[in-house]
Amino acid sequence: MASAGIENIKPGQQIPSVTKSVTQETIEQFENCGILDRQNIHNNPELARQRLGTTYPIASGRMSVAFASESLRRFFGPEVFNHTGSVNLKFLRPVKGGDTITVTGQVAGQEPDANGARVTVNLICQNQNGHQTAIGTGAAVIN
Amino acid sequence: MPDSEAKIFDYDQIEIGEELGSYEYTLTQEMLDNFRASINDPDAVFPTLAVKHDATAFAMVYEDNTGGVNAGNEVEFFNPPIPGKKIRVTGRIADKYLRRDKPYMVIEATAHDEDGRLLEKLRTYQMKKPDEVGKKWHPQA
Repeated sequence: MASAGIENIKPGQQIPSVTKSVTQETIEQFENCGILDRQNIHNNPELARQRLGTTYPIASGRMSVAFASESLRRFFGPEVFNHTGSVNLKFLRPVKGGDTITVTGQVAGQEPDANGARVTVNLICQNQNGHQTAIGTGAAVIN
Repeated sequence: MPDSEAKIFDYDQIEIGEELGSYEYTLTQEMLDNFRASINDPDAVFPTLAVKHDATAFAMVYEDNTGGVNAGNEVEFFNPPIPGKKIRVTGRIADKYLRRDKPYMVIEATAHDEDGRLLEKLRTYQMKKPDEVGKKWHPQA
């Protein structure tokens, strides 16, 4: 695990991958964590049809942020990631109920930070068909 | 739902830097448990991701009949929120721009808890022409 020390981190190093099954039930459960009772393209098929033209609701992109966060937390360790971590994702394709999303990543590099070294990881979220659903970066500061 | 004072959203009228105000809520253990279950991660500690602080701030100010598609998210984690504590969120419109003739809006929110601990900063890039995205995705496939 990276939290063992910056000296153990090398460019190209793989971080732990996570694979998640997404269902309409988990999509709606995620939506129900909010403090507003809102109908949206994630929990209302008719709104998804009207606004997107899709025949299905889509998962919030923030679910993929959460999946990527788990992968990064496993790599950096919770004490590091939960206090210095970041995720930056660009969404490329919709995720819907029935999809399986796998997050993979590899260390891109590191640079000095006021509190140590900021390690950056390139991230890819991919569905069961091998299509990228999101790409981006994650980072954390190791001292 | 937006409150009774909510304004009708008009992309042309919003201004970069516009404050979306602030709000408070109490994070419950149930919210944390539901979040963890929804993403199948028993060790997740930021249910605030699913509360969608920035989008909530926006929805409290604007009634948006256009909708939008989330094109990207940036989040920074500083301290895990603690169930039972109040969370105070402030939001603003950070940017707006056209890209390939499509209107984008960037909203952001910062969250502190009742003890003043900085918890999370969140930024969402939203494309405000969602039907264009639906076409690109080949929805009937």
